[in-house]
Amino acid sequence: MQARCPSCARLQQPRLFCSDCGAPLAVELDYFDVLGIPRQLTLDPAQLEALYHDLGRRVHPDRFANQPAPVRNASLAATALLTRAFRTLRDPFSRGLYWLELHGEKLARDNKEVPPELAEFIFEVQESLAELQAGQVDGNDSDHVKKRVLSAKSDIQSLLKNAFAQLDQNYADWDNRVNHQADLIVKLKSVLSRIAYLRTLERDVGRVLEQHDLR
Amino acid sequence: MAVIFGIDLGTTNSLIAVMEEGRPRIIADPKSGDTMLPSVVALLANGRVEVGKSAIELEPHLNVERGGTIVPAGLGRDDEGVVVRSVKRYMGLGGDEVAQEDRHRYAFADFGGPVVRFKVGQRTFTPPQISAEILRTLKGWGEAATGEKVERVVITVPAYFNDGQRQATKDAGRLAGLEVVRLVNEPTAASLAYGLHSMASGRVAVYDFGGGTFDISILNVKEGIFEVLATSGDTHLGGDDIDLAVANLMLNQLPEELRRNRQVWNTARQVAEAAKKRLSAEVETGMELRLPHLTVSRLLSRQELEELAQPLVTRTIDCCARALKDANLTPAEIDAVVLVGGSTRMPLVRRRVQSFFDREPLCSLDPDEVVALGASVQAGVLMGKSGDMLLLDVVPLSLGIESMGGVMERIIHRNTTIPTSACERFTNAVDNQTHVDIHVLQGERELAKDCRSLARFKLGPIEPQPAGMARIEVTFLIDANGILNVTARDERTGREHSIDVKPSYGLTDEEIERMLEEAIDLGEEDLTQRLLIQARNDAAAILAALSKQLNEYGALLDQAERDAIQALAARLETARQSNDRELIASLVEQLNEMTTPFAHRIMDEAIKAALEKRTVEEVS
Repeated sequence: MQARCPSCARLQQPRLFCSDCGAPLAVELDYFDVLGIPRQLTLDPAQLEALYHDLGRRVHPDRFANQPAPVRNASLAATALLTRAFRTLRDPFSRGLYWLELHGEKLARDNKEVPPELAEFIFEVQESLAELQAGQVDGNDSDHVKKRVLSAKSDIQSLLKNAFAQLDQNYADWDNRVNHQADLIVKLKSVLSRIAYLRTLERDVGRVLEQHDLR
Repeated sequence: MAVIFGIDLGTTNSLIAVMEEGRPRIIADPKSGDTMLPSVVALLANGRVEVGKSAIELEPHLNVERGGTIVPAGLGRDDEGVVVRSVKRYMGLGGDEVAQEDRHRYAFADFGGPVVRFKVGQRTFTPPQISAEILRTLKGWGEAATGEKVERVVITVPAYFNDGQRQATKDAGRLAGLEVVRLVNEPTAASLAYGLHSMASGRVAVYDFGGGTFDISILNVKEGIFEVLATSGDTHLGGDDIDLAVANLMLNQLPEELRRNRQVWNTARQVAEAAKKRLSAEVETGMELRLPHLTVSRLLSRQELEELAQPLVTRTIDCCARALKDANLTPAEIDAVVLVGGSTRMPLVRRRVQSFFDREPLCSLDPDEVVALGASVQAGVLMGKSGDMLLLDVVPLSLGIESMGGVMERIIHRNTTIPTSACERFTNAVDNQTHVDIHVLQGERELAKDCRSLARFKLGPIEPQPAGMARIEVTFLIDANGILNVTARDERTGREHSIDVKPSYGLTDEEIERMLEEAIDLGEEDLTQRLLIQARNDAAAILAALSKQLNEYGALLDQAERDAIQALAARLETARQSNDRELIASLVEQLNEMTTPFAHRIMDEAIKAALEKRTVEEVS
């Protein structure tokens, strides 16, 4: 669906800025089209940032401060879209979620299903947190619980690291057309869900540690 | 094109600057040569207003509950008035949000409502009106010094200012007859000034400790792009608070009733502030609080001052740690630290900043001037005169909506680059519901009640339909000023929904219109003129676009339609030459309406042509 340029009134193919006069266009585009990159999951952050800055220079509201309202509004919408696209694609996690969305799939917002392979670990960590919070232990035991929570923190961090490495692998597989799409979607959902859960846990642990003045 | 000026509307002092031959320059008051305008405003019941030094002169004689003994020339014995300092601390805040020590300062202030009001005789003044007086004075300096009209400005705000505080600043500009083209965050403005001055590229931390507010911003500067990574701060932490701590040293020596006397209290603060400043150079100084029947004297050492200031400075360092954490950086990864704001002259502050970042901070530009200089650099960018320079700032506080159970659901996270937007979909919870209520909040807490209420609005009217059938898409857009704009669209019909926004704090449009009418002096005339020019420009733009369209697509209209459109266009062309702003606006609206079917036809035609062309190409 074509769009009309707010500045020169010419019709344009859906893109971020007018190919005739350079003014920003207010259209809905998918994030890959916004940045002008092919649809693949492995992305180079440096290249992405260079594109973001370059496009930003062309459509940012500061460039159109003296133009009439329709052009200024288009600039605002185009830049907001650009910012969203960049942020979403830059972070591997949100990139994956967006990819699923493009393929009509979703992760539930509050993911309540505990990933089975993590169930035991999560249970232990939550138990330790509860103990520390309740202040049920004192003396040596208290130190012991604190140590457990601190070591849980580093365990979570390495589990996350592994999950992200796996995510990268999934992305490479997709780009190289290894396995079926349906298969990869299942794998993606699983690893993304694991990351989401681990991050929530990390946040909870972090909070408790801060409250007890530990790091 | 009208020149855009840069203004630092500070808690303690305000400045105006402009770009000249590619360099920013502070504009001085042609009469006195002063570059800084104290942000002090005297408001008298008889309508007289003084700003800056002349307001300070009146200060000992006003702010009294009743009758001073010595009356200066020009001030009647019964003249009532108030001298307001640090009005920035009241901007965009509801009465109950104002800090305790700020509420105590003025006899005539009313903190009961959504906007603080200062009562003087029969009149009341809001913080934006008072700030507007400061802006008007700066406007006068700018015009006298450059011979140019000051109509368009960039005004700086603390990075940590929330939506209400930003809106209040824009309102102040409007009331002063200025078009606020952009609000810029103070630390970011400072980085622009340094960027132009000396800094090549890298990660920069801007530590901005002023009279009333503290900000820390972490930026990445690369190839003319100034990108903020994270920002943190405290809008109630500044040199003023250190003054207060020092003032208490003297006040504590006084009997209770005297301590609570506002005049005594304000005088003590001024003595304290002066002593604090001296101690940046000296190690010990005397303080003398002179009252009608007694004098309180006290010696103050730098060490003692630093003990008092230490907890406040610690709070600033905590903010620095938070900002670094948000930016995912360690102090070692910062390439340069910049000091901004008068309070950074304190040796204690410099030591602690140096210690935290483990490097010598930059302060080659005057910390009092650097923000105004930066504002004018941004003004240059907006005028299209600064090549490829670009500022990418962030929203300092998360934005969200109140959802079921009183939970704050975040839709835009803090430190997201602006402009940014987020979409939320709403539906009708019950059959035939006519409106959907949305409560927008700002803050980082989990519960809605702990966050700051930004606005409540009603979406609708929604067509009667079964529950769950309505599909309304609401777009929350934070613009380049850091201010929220909301639009709503009915997904089924594609039509824009009307939104009635009730801001939780601040002035409504009606109140501002009224204030504009009541404007204190000539500002009113200037404003009318400017609005007229704007209306004329709008008319010119629409006529030009229409002319082009008639040229290319005139065949899509029949003769009668064409005649009607051209007749109306001719009327607009005539009106455009006149002084009747309302007529021009009304004709523009009518012309827009009349040409809408035409626009649709043009669109259809173009799509058809595109499809035909494609078919031909496919065939061949």
